Amino acid sequence: MNVAPPKTLGELFLGFLSIGARSFGGVMPWAHRVMVEERRWVTEADFAETIGLCQFLPGPNIGNASVVYGKRWFGLAGALVAFLGLFALPFVWVLALFALYADFAATNATLRAVVTGVGAAGAGLFIGTAIKLGRVLVRRPAALVLITACFLAAGIGRASLFLVLPISFACALFAARRDWL
Amino acid sequence: MTLLELSLYFMLLSLISVGGMPSVLPELQRYAVDVKGWMSPEDFIQIFAVGQAAPGPNVLIASLVGWKVAGLPGALLALASMCGPAAVLAWWVAEAWERFKDSPWRRAIQRAIAPVVVALILSGGVILATPGAPDWRLWAIAAATAIGMLTSKVNPLWFLAAGGAIGGFLLA
Repeated sequence: MNVAPPKTLGELFLGFLSIGARSFGGVMPWAHRVMVEERRWVTEADFAETIGLCQFLPGPNIGNASVVYGKRWFGLAGALVAFLGLFALPFVWVLALFALYADFAATNATLRAVVTGVGAAGAGLFIGTAIKLGRVLVRRPAALVLITACFLAAGIGRASLFLVLPISFACALFAARRDWL
Repeated sequence: MTLLELSLYFMLLSLISVGGMPSVLPELQRYAVDVKGWMSPEDFIQIFAVGQAAPGPNVLIASLVGWKVAGLPGALLALASMCGPAAVLAWWVAEAWERFKDSPWRRAIQRAIAPVVVALILSGGVILATPGAPDWRLWAIAAATAIGMLTSKVNPLWFLAAGGAIGGFLLA
């Protein structure tokens, strides 16, 4: 497969703009479509490798990916342009949608109920995702203990993540180094 | 003052947001609702719902929190603060990560992060489905969505739409 990076900053911007513009129901499938299939900027393997890295870094993974690719091709200007392209339209849309919603929701109980239902379904998607990712992991007892302890602390006990994350990550790293995970 | 606080908080949150926005939702809810009282738990689930239903990266939920607290400047600042520190880290780490491809530490880090992220995403789901007192209707919608998602390959947007329809029926 022949791939070539974008030639100009404008091309980079438009590519990321089109990812953001169409990212209904998740950004990652659109990022893949635009960068690998339509514009052929990167190979399948490169894309998977970069996204894999960005999933292990803090921050929104697609936001990080825009910075990593932007930097690779055009340095600092590229990182900024790719990032701005990605967020420009979704930012405007989410604020517009929320402003519109807030206007109507003030007087409309049914609308509030509908949106709360959407939120509950979104919560269900999180729970489903956690089960999907977790069911492979929990074959190892150490992982099951970690997940349970971390969930009890953050989800039930409502402890601060600034406490839960360092402690649980340190324990997890200890376990991973001993090959328990 | 609020803007400064908002920005500092999201910058810190950015640095611990391993696994992205889903992982930090329990913490964001705790801070915005319980600690600062910027909004009610119901407001938070509605912000989350709008953020999920709108196209775009789900980190935009941060900009909705900013908007709610301090209008447009708050929205811009919250998004920039939530993405900035992590982006700077990605900038520096991307090449180093490549170099340590075969290091045992890299593999250990990858394996260590996975269970923590799973627990945090699960926490986010449970907290969002329980905004106030436990409500069986919200739990039923969440449980049905989770089961549906695990047993089919339907686009998640349909589940959000179904959740909205059932919500309008059950919760109004």
